[in-house]
Amino acid sequence: MRTPVFLTLLFLCLPASTLVAQTRHHGKRPVKLQIPIDSLTVNGTSLGSVDVVTENHMNKGLVTNPLNALTGQAAGVNITSGENRMAQLSSVRVRGTTSITGGNDPLVIIDGVYSDLSALSSVYPSDIESFTILKNAAETAQYGSRGASGVIEVKTKRGSGTQFHISYDGNIGFESKYKTLDMLDAPGYIATAQALGLYYKDEGSNTNFQDIITRTGYIANHHVAFSGGSKESSYRASLSAMDHNTIIRTNSYRNYAAKADLTQWAFDDLLKIDFGVFGSSQKSHDLFNPWEVFYSAAAQNPTIPATTNADGSGDKNNTAEQINHPMVLLKKKNDTKNLNFDAHIDMDFNLLGLLSDKSNDEPSIHLLLLGAYSYNSLENATFCPTWIWAQGQATRGERKTESWLGNAQLKFDDTWGAHHLSATLLTEYQKSNASGFWTLVKGFTTNELGYDNLGAASTIPYGGTGSDADSPSLLSFMGSLSYTLLDRYTLGASLRADGSSMFASGHKWGAFPSVSLSWDLTKEPFFHALSHLFDIMRLRTGYGQSGNLGGISSYYSQNLVKPIGTVSVDNTPTTTMGLFRNSNPNLKWETRSTFNVGTDISLWHNRLVLTAEYYYSRTTDMLYQYDVPVPPFTFDKLLANLGKMSNQGVEIGLGVTAISRKDMELNVNLNLSFQKNKLISLSGEYNGYQLTAPDITSIGSLSGAGFHGGENNIVYQIVGQPIGVFYLPHCKGLVKNENGSYMYDIEDLDHNGRVNIEDGGDRYIAGQATPKWTLGSNISFRYKDFDISLQMNGAFGHKIYNGTALTYMNMSSFPDYNVMSKAPEMNIKDQRATDYWLERGDYLNFDYLTIGWNVPLHSRYISRLRLSASVNNLATITAYSGLTPMINSYVVDSTLGIDDKRSYPVYRTFSIGVSIQF
Amino acid sequence: MMITKRLLLLFATALVLSTFSSCLDENTKGLLPEEKAYNSATNLYINTVATLYNYIGGNSDSQGLEGTVRGLYDYNTFSTDEAIIPIRGGDWYDGGFWQNLYEHRWTASDEALYNTWLYLYKVAMLCNHSLAVIDANRSLLTDKDYLAYTSEVKAVRCLFYYELMDMFGRIPYVTKDQESYADVKQQERSTVFHNIIDELQACLPYLANEHSNLEGNYYGRMTRPVAQFLLARLFLNAEVYADDDWTDKQHPDGKTMTFTVDGLTMNAWQACVHYCDEIEKEGYQLQPDYAFNFSVHNETSVENIFTIPMDKIKYQNQFWYLYRSRHYAHGGAIGMDAENGTSATLATVHAYGYGTDSLDTRFAINFYADTVKVDGKVVTQESGEPLVYQPLVMAENLTYSPYEKTAGARMAKYEIDRKAYADGKLQDNDIVLFRFADVLLMRAEAKVRNGENGQSDLDAVRRRVGMPCRPATLDNILRERLLELMWEGSRRRDLIRYGLFHKAYDLRQPIESESDAHTIVFPIPTKAIDLNNKLTQNKGYKTEK
Repeated sequence: MRTPVFLTLLFLCLPASTLVAQTRHHGKRPVKLQIPIDSLTVNGTSLGSVDVVTENHMNKGLVTNPLNALTGQAAGVNITSGENRMAQLSSVRVRGTTSITGGNDPLVIIDGVYSDLSALSSVYPSDIESFTILKNAAETAQYGSRGASGVIEVKTKRGSGTQFHISYDGNIGFESKYKTLDMLDAPGYIATAQALGLYYKDEGSNTNFQDIITRTGYIANHHVAFSGGSKESSYRASLSAMDHNTIIRTNSYRNYAAKADLTQWAFDDLLKIDFGVFGSSQKSHDLFNPWEVFYSAAAQNPTIPATTNADGSGDKNNTAEQINHPMVLLKKKNDTKNLNFDAHIDMDFNLLGLLSDKSNDEPSIHLLLLGAYSYNSLENATFCPTWIWAQGQATRGERKTESWLGNAQLKFDDTWGAHHLSATLLTEYQKSNASGFWTLVKGFTTNELGYDNLGAASTIPYGGTGSDADSPSLLSFMGSLSYTLLDRYTLGASLRADGSSMFASGHKWGAFPSVSLSWDLTKEPFFHALSHLFDIMRLRTGYGQSGNLGGISSYYSQNLVKPIGTVSVDNTPTTTMGLFRNSNPNLKWETRSTFNVGTDISLWHNRLVLTAEYYYSRTTDMLYQYDVPVPPFTFDKLLANLGKMSNQGVEIGLGVTAISRKDMELNVNLNLSFQKNKLISLSGEYNGYQLTAPDITSIGSLSGAGFHGGENNIVYQIVGQPIGVFYLPHCKGLVKNENGSYMYDIEDLDHNGRVNIEDGGDRYIAGQATPKWTLGSNISFRYKDFDISLQMNGAFGHKIYNGTALTYMNMSSFPDYNVMSKAPEMNIKDQRATDYWLERGDYLNFDYLTIGWNVPLHSRYISRLRLSASVNNLATITAYSGLTPMINSYVVDSTLGIDDKRSYPVYRTFSIGVSIQF
Repeated sequence: MMITKRLLLLFATALVLSTFSSCLDENTKGLLPEEKAYNSATNLYINTVATLYNYIGGNSDSQGLEGTVRGLYDYNTFSTDEAIIPIRGGDWYDGGFWQNLYEHRWTASDEALYNTWLYLYKVAMLCNHSLAVIDANRSLLTDKDYLAYTSEVKAVRCLFYYELMDMFGRIPYVTKDQESYADVKQQERSTVFHNIIDELQACLPYLANEHSNLEGNYYGRMTRPVAQFLLARLFLNAEVYADDDWTDKQHPDGKTMTFTVDGLTMNAWQACVHYCDEIEKEGYQLQPDYAFNFSVHNETSVENIFTIPMDKIKYQNQFWYLYRSRHYAHGGAIGMDAENGTSATLATVHAYGYGTDSLDTRFAINFYADTVKVDGKVVTQESGEPLVYQPLVMAENLTYSPYEKTAGARMAKYEIDRKAYADGKLQDNDIVLFRFADVLLMRAEAKVRNGENGQSDLDAVRRRVGMPCRPATLDNILRERLLELMWEGSRRRDLIRYGLFHKAYDLRQPIESESDAHTIVFPIPTKAIDLNNKLTQNKGYKTEK
């Protein structure tokens, strides 16, 4: 707890060495071994801001996913949990969305091996030593195209020293719902229908389906780790298990993981070998269609009994076609099994040492070799019983991916006089083999077997069964240099060439340079007077480019045919092959150029740490499915490199150790980021003529009864605006109809005498869906052996479309669909989407509060015992009237910014944890 | 800095070497390089000609000539006095889409309109591509096969250009594969009309003279009678299609238009009659039982000419219309979901003589009305009351009506396939696109328009359903077309030909400025114009930005 408190530690080449020395120091080993953190981290070229979140700063409380440990801890990193907040795979955006088509997920590197967010989610948080987040182009350059959207380097724990350790971490928690939508209960429903003289169905119960579909959630984690070693080697192995039953009755997750790492030193420590294996098995029981379940739970007739009939079916309001009995809907299955296995070996040769006897002197030349293999298998099975799906339906599918990686680096490092030079040459080759298979069957007479015996179904319709395969590869070369003069001026430069199999020949290669500069003022003579005050005072800037191909998949540049359908040929059903998209042989790399300038200041022995950074990035040759004219094109979309987009922002981090005494410590950390995105253009030249994609394209719309068609579009992508803006008709207020009900009074914005709320008509830009500001803050206080920690996250400056309220306040769907308690009074009979239900999305959420006690034991065997208690999702401060403002506000898809009947009930988690180290 | 230079040199060398390496080759797995799909005469047929038949029907919005929603069929049906999808409380508002269709307030920026444009042109362009591929692989084919293949593709292309010309009037007529952007030019309506006729006539001799609706080698295909039917339809509507300015209240006269048909010079009506005669010669006749043409196993009909083959297991084509029309309780009684939408208009119900003594016998086949029975049992609603459809209650917006959910006679016509999947959307009844009764009515009308007597054809149609004969006047023929061809997507074309489409009918009043009849074609979709600024908008429409 006495180590530097700030969540953001700033790695720079020389200062980094000292830091590295702390974390890497192996007793009496020579300091020269500090250089490779792991084979892929080229600290020599890392100039700029690197956020390192070490174990001390990871989120506490109940953390079941490594990304939860990171939420709110680094500026510019937005982590959106899945719809049910904790359990589902989170999505991560580093400095916002930079590409429309894809490749916005940051690259995840686990112990030097390329990985992804899904694999990371299976690693147990206690196995992680640190996260390092690379945001600037000069830092991500070493990962090339895959790192274009930022990099999260994850370093897992390894054995160290010779002592045997065994540790146990575990916690159990309970989840309890605290907020649901306020719908009419049965008496209210009946009274309203009677007052309006409407026919209603009364089945005699008073059911709150929103309660019925939920339960008290339960979560348990166990993690055991062993480590030990000898003088020449060390190992660490761990086993973990997680069991999570969410508050929704049929929604649960299991994760089992095992991990083992071995480090061996040889030839007087001139060769170091790291070997690691990791395996995990995740099982999840998800909702088949959460939207349908929550829509049904809120809008189903409350007089219907909660229980289902003896045969398994359930009653429903038959006139409400879009919804069903929620308890029957929960019988739909959507189960996934995810298996991961990774192995890697990593060798570091001190070449000069091995080839001569001058082992301790500069310069040093290291050869690093890495080989890695990873295997992933994802199996999904669904079942829709006959009660709610005519004749029933089951599917099974699997996707298997194997991937090989080979990487070789030559590193040179020398110091002479006031000069320090390091250089790296790197080459890397990655190849994957992916294959998928899926099938769909219909026609069940029993619901007992589910998807476990597809033979129980009578038919396998055409188009429901298929398979696919591809094997993309990527080859890269990189050279980088870092030169430091007088320990204070550092210049870094790198050039990387990436080649991908997915582009046609002639377009395969892209070259991406980067440069960076840094100036450490504290080392300047003129600064000496202040040096007792300042620990760090540094200015830095950088510029670089990186390529992105996340927007494309294999085969996009080739003219290929696939099965189109079956027709009768010579009286036999025959599958024909045909074109299915416009191919583009000219596809090339999407390029992102980033400029950044920043400063890092640390005062009073790190009691106050401040970091500030401005960045500007521009994406060019942006991959996008552009609209092309039909005719002459056959299909209306063409994946091409045309558009431009910019992102800029300011990131500020502040850490204050207000109290730092032996018995008491108070730390306040805060990070704030401002982010602004702009879609600059979506047009350009293709094959000699100008392509202009429409300036306005809808991204997200409402769904449900009576919502079909362009008039229900809510969120758009508009050239000149941030991606994801609300483009809506303006409602001047409510007006009274002849029959006493109210409707939205829509303004004729184009003054043409007629209100037209289609895309091109009376709409205006009413706000953006992505937050302008985000905040993460942690306050931790320690008194003797007790500590308390509070994490707050917030987002500001964005809006949310409350489609849930629009739907449930609409009396014209009553009594087929239940409405909110306030609806009869307001008596709105209108469901046109206007800005009436567009609300400010600002919020401040108290993510968790943890109280811990490090039990002062003087046992010979127990070195540490910690007990803790936490509350997660403590409270939210917001003016937003819906269930929760924490919807998808970052990821550009059809749900961006729209709260449309799909929010999980809001819940808190109460947990206790124990951590013992022997 | 020697080291730097050496490193850079090494780097450059490595880069050069890599370009010669094959480790970045993309070997296709799972998808087929196009040229490998045409390695034999059989595969050439399957993947250039047969593959086009995947697009006659469809299984998603705006795809397919009929069967799906928000596409060609809906634009030809709900824009008329035949049928309506009224707003029923929270259901069917859909942003005013259906109301706009009924009132003719569609705009150039309607999504469904552009999607329909994209669908029709996609198939036309695929035809162009097929022709180019057949030409490139001609060596695999005998001359006879070559002519047969190319004629079949060209005739399919005519079918799609016909629908494009019928909907949008002035359209780009592109017949070359990968035509350059600069050469995509909008043609006047009459030019497209004449091009289609010329091409279809040229194809006729090489098309198989076979019944396409029968299961067998020609099932679902573009055969000679199908092309002849299309020609008859083109000629019957010649006054409309040959008119390049339909807003000037004048149109060419079908009687004086001349065409060359099988070496003879004929006017439009004679040409229509000629092709109707040709179809008759091929053995088509009225099926004694009207309803059989729409039954679950209607593949043996002697009347149907062109159908969309349907099979819940073999094919993906879907039929949404029964599902979309029937009441929820009605769906529940047959074990399927329902959307409680489509209904007959009041005008239609009256035309059938509903509520009078002279109810047309086809009413019971085309509609569900009054008390609904399934398997002999009365269907009950939630309330326990019987489900009673109210044919005489209809409005654009039924929201405050006591019959909000039950107003309107509902679509029947197609026998319910009780073993269907997907709530009836995957049924086994083939969807009827062209049939012989329409040929008879076309011939009757063409004869009357040409000053001849069309009585016998009209009588045949009415006699088959046991209805008394009516004089073969143009008005009676139009009325008969509604009664006979209800739910078959013909009404918009018929009203336009009779000059009634832009007038007041049923509950509809003409919209402002509709007196110029500009609504008889749809606007060129805004997006199409955005992407090709050489296209100009049809008269009377604004391209809203």
